[in-house]
Amino acid sequence: MAVAPPVPSTFSGGAEAIALVVLLTEFAMLRAPLSRSQIRLYAFQSLAVSALAVFVAATQHIPELYILAAFSFTLKVVLVPGIVLRLLRDARVDLAGSNRLGVATMILIAIGISVFGFFVAGGLPVHSHSLPTAALGLAMAVILVAFLLVILRSDVVSQAVGFFSLENGVSVASLVVASGLPLIVEVAFLFDLLVAVVVFGVLMRVHHGRTQTLSTEALDRLKG
Amino acid sequence: MAAVELAPAQIQVFQVLTIVVFAPLVSGGIAHLEARLQGRRGPRILQPYYDLAKLFRKETLVPENAGWVFMVAPIVAFTCYMIVPLLIPVLTAFPLPLGYMGDILGGAFILGLAGFAVALAAAESGGPYAQLGSSRAMTFGALIEPSLLFITFTVALVTTTDLPYFEAAAVRSSLGQWIRPAHLLAALAFFLVVLNDTGRIPVETHASTLEFGMIDEARTLEHSGPLFALLKWGSAMKQFILYVLLVNVFIAPWGLAGSRDLGAVLVAIPILLAKAFGVGAVFTVIDNSFSKLRLFKLTEFMASAFLLAILAVLVLYLGGG
Repeated sequence: MAVAPPVPSTFSGGAEAIALVVLLTEFAMLRAPLSRSQIRLYAFQSLAVSALAVFVAATQHIPELYILAAFSFTLKVVLVPGIVLRLLRDARVDLAGSNRLGVATMILIAIGISVFGFFVAGGLPVHSHSLPTAALGLAMAVILVAFLLVILRSDVVSQAVGFFSLENGVSVASLVVASGLPLIVEVAFLFDLLVAVVVFGVLMRVHHGRTQTLSTEALDRLKG
Repeated sequence: MAAVELAPAQIQVFQVLTIVVFAPLVSGGIAHLEARLQGRRGPRILQPYYDLAKLFRKETLVPENAGWVFMVAPIVAFTCYMIVPLLIPVLTAFPLPLGYMGDILGGAFILGLAGFAVALAAAESGGPYAQLGSSRAMTFGALIEPSLLFITFTVALVTTTDLPYFEAAAVRSSLGQWIRPAHLLAALAFFLVVLNDTGRIPVETHASTLEFGMIDEARTLEHSGPLFALLKWGSAMKQFILYVLLVNVFIAPWGLAGSRDLGAVLVAIPILLAKAFGVGAVFTVIDNSFSKLRLFKLTEFMASAFLLAILAVLVLYLGGG
């Protein structure tokens, strides 16, 4: 007779549910046709990550995490999407239309690669009764699907958003596995993100200035 | 007043009657709400009953060359929809004897048989739109099936059975059980399956008269009179059954009768109707806030339902979530 898996505690259940929202948003980004909606989804995903930080802080009694949540909210929910949206408005390009594959195919590939992520996370020797182990697999899946987003969509915005959301996946993993991680390390992550925004901002501007489009399809044409 | 104990068999009759009698009411209530949300006055809530009464008085017209399948199919479908309420928790929280007769897959097979009968009748009629509808309904039914399978797997992993009563009991047992990601995902995936099976936006505009966008609706175009009434009634029952499964098994399995007391069973009926109207209201809001997907984009909808269902199994199997 099979044995039912134990019911997770409310803490791990809640943490995993939020991590799940992060993963589903990543999938939504993969299929979102408009660059604008991709960025809004990124803002929503960051909101979920901030909520996760608050949730972990409240249930595990780690007050530093409130500061982290405040930082990540201002930076990733307000500032970064605001800047990228403004850049987009200047570029006046709406529809990315950059799918290399059909949407259903992309989703199926992404499902496959998340399965791989789950198996990898399951193989890691990180086991603890207080740890929401599924969240680790979810974070791994977020990271892998973010890679897929960068690979399968050929426009600059997708690549930027893919990179930013990669950082969200790492945040989820670090919040869940090492919620006591020194605040300074987390803030350094966020600072990294700020640098990336500047780099991608310059990239978008230069790319749009050269080719009049945000698609990277034009880049493999040689200029002579 | 002494409490009246009902025999399990009587309660099961009650379950079937609840579905048969109140299904048109649920449809009418939803249509009324939908009209209100669109700024129209809308039909009366009891309008589906009047429609059925009118259709039962009309004559039956049968297309040329249509055989007995055309006549029998609506009755078969209606019977199937009367059998399913025996298997699922409509009014009681405790399993009834016939509830062990079939699991979630069994219920899905019986619903599938009803759909098959209607599709066969549509094919028999020779009408082009009816045939188009039945072919589409079968195609998309096959595409949504994997999601249903994975939802069943999730239920099986959580409860070690796949009986709907036990899943409902598991959900009731603790908050941790309700909030666990596998359950949320399975519930959401089942929500999408219901959206597809009841022919709602984004899959189908259920009140449309445009044949090219039709899927389920088109199948019954050739039927008339009492047979059409049975089909309409049957589709209202199917909708109610799916709502019952959604609320009483996955989302909110509370407010069911805990004993065989007549009063408790009777109180469970209005609670169930309130929950069904609640689900219907959600569907109506979705109906009014999104547009219909293009037919060839429907695979994306199916893929997202499949994504949710397969993630539920994965989270459970590899993470214990």
